[in-house]
Amino acid sequence: MKTHKLFENNTHTWLMFGRDEEKATEIIDTNQYMVISKNNALLMDPGGIELFSAMLAAVIKQVPAEKITHLFASHQDPDIISSLGLWDQALPSATLHSPWIWEGFIRHFGMDNITYAPIADEGGEIKIDNVVLEYIPAHYLHSSGNFNVYDREAKILMSGDIGAALEATNAPMFVDDFEEHITKMKMFHQRWMPSNEAKNDWVNRVRKLDVEMLCPQHGRIFKGEKVKLFLDWFEALEVGLTGKNLT
Amino acid sequence: MLEEKSIEMEKYQPEIDYNYFVAAAVIAARLDQATTIAKQLSLTASNARAVALRAGERAAGFRPLTDFIDRLAEITITASKKINLLAATLSKTSAAKVRSDNAIKHFILVFTKAAESPYINSLNEVFERCKINQEQLTREYQRQIEQLSEELIMLSSELRNAVILATLSRVEASQAGAEYQDALINVADNVEGAAGKIKAHIKYSQQLVSTLK
Repeated sequence: MKTHKLFENNTHTWLMFGRDEEKATEIIDTNQYMVISKNNALLMDPGGIELFSAMLAAVIKQVPAEKITHLFASHQDPDIISSLGLWDQALPSATLHSPWIWEGFIRHFGMDNITYAPIADEGGEIKIDNVVLEYIPAHYLHSSGNFNVYDREAKILMSGDIGAALEATNAPMFVDDFEEHITKMKMFHQRWMPSNEAKNDWVNRVRKLDVEMLCPQHGRIFKGEKVKLFLDWFEALEVGLTGKNLT
Repeated sequence: MLEEKSIEMEKYQPEIDYNYFVAAAVIAARLDQATTIAKQLSLTASNARAVALRAGERAAGFRPLTDFIDRLAEITITASKKINLLAATLSKTSAAKVRSDNAIKHFILVFTKAAESPYINSLNEVFERCKINQEQLTREYQRQIEQLSEELIMLSSELRNAVILATLSRVEASQAGAEYQDALINVADNVEGAAGKIKAHIKYSQQLVSTLK
């Protein structure tokens, strides 16, 4: 599992974990993100059961276990949060922030100790020490209850499955050739995202934010001008397609 | 006859090759089936009582036996329900134990992978707590297996009475005259058959319990 520092200032740090070379080939590669502030840390989309030991080993190299006081799950998928039963034993005092509609479902992964903090449909924010992070609604992209995390200061948008690409574990961290990258993400967005209306609503919302890095849960990060290229491409893309309609 | 039925049922048993947490669930399912058979036994007792009443004086010796059949059904239902509950609890403990064992395995892997981490010791407390939890679950698991084992032995010995009851029923049936004899012999067969089936489930469950110890 590789660790990559995305941002650092005097209040907090953004780390990305991913490109796990030890993972089974049948399992999709995932990116995990962590924000570390003075006394706390927020671990975002911590991943599946298969990833847990690699993930905890990577995290513990950065911060002591008791510092990870918050977890965030953008939605209910197994690659996002099926490791919860193990985190529940590792971090019994932590709080899990996730869409309110998934509480009854996510608890099936095993949650005896961790506290569930439901996020309302309209979003909200979380303050870790003095760092404020915003929950940006991204419903139906693809999950019906889904949020991104935006850091105004770092100009980072953790976009979950939006911007995700299916590619090898040795892929670079950042998108370089955007046109070439489309081939890795087009089918994923057309097939997994169900609603053009929800998609355009999200694009309009994100265009109002100052985003320097758009960080998906699979594949490479969009940086600088690539963020705008992605938003333009995504806006023009027809989604909710299956079978022969996929282009 | 009872033994033959047990052997016949055993032919259709799958090989005992379950994970321990699955085995506990299988025992619960088996005892649930035993409860259903015991309820049929209770119906047999009601039927026998009706036949004995119609037969009047000629089946006078059969009537007290219907009370014993009833009692046997009642004991079997109560014990089966209790064992079923015990097995269901054991199944739950087993699943918790699997999760706990799994967590320990993952933590050991983290200690290996992140041995050089400056924060690795921050996991010590978590690891100790998981180990204590695992030990508690293991003790609880062993205690529940012992209890389950004892209950299965007790029910099995109660069912031995079914053979005597069936034999006595046949003797009394032969005194009841041609008109009622067949119906009462049928009652004896039902008692023996039901007991045989329940015993087969218990025997299978006992074999599974022995694999859990």
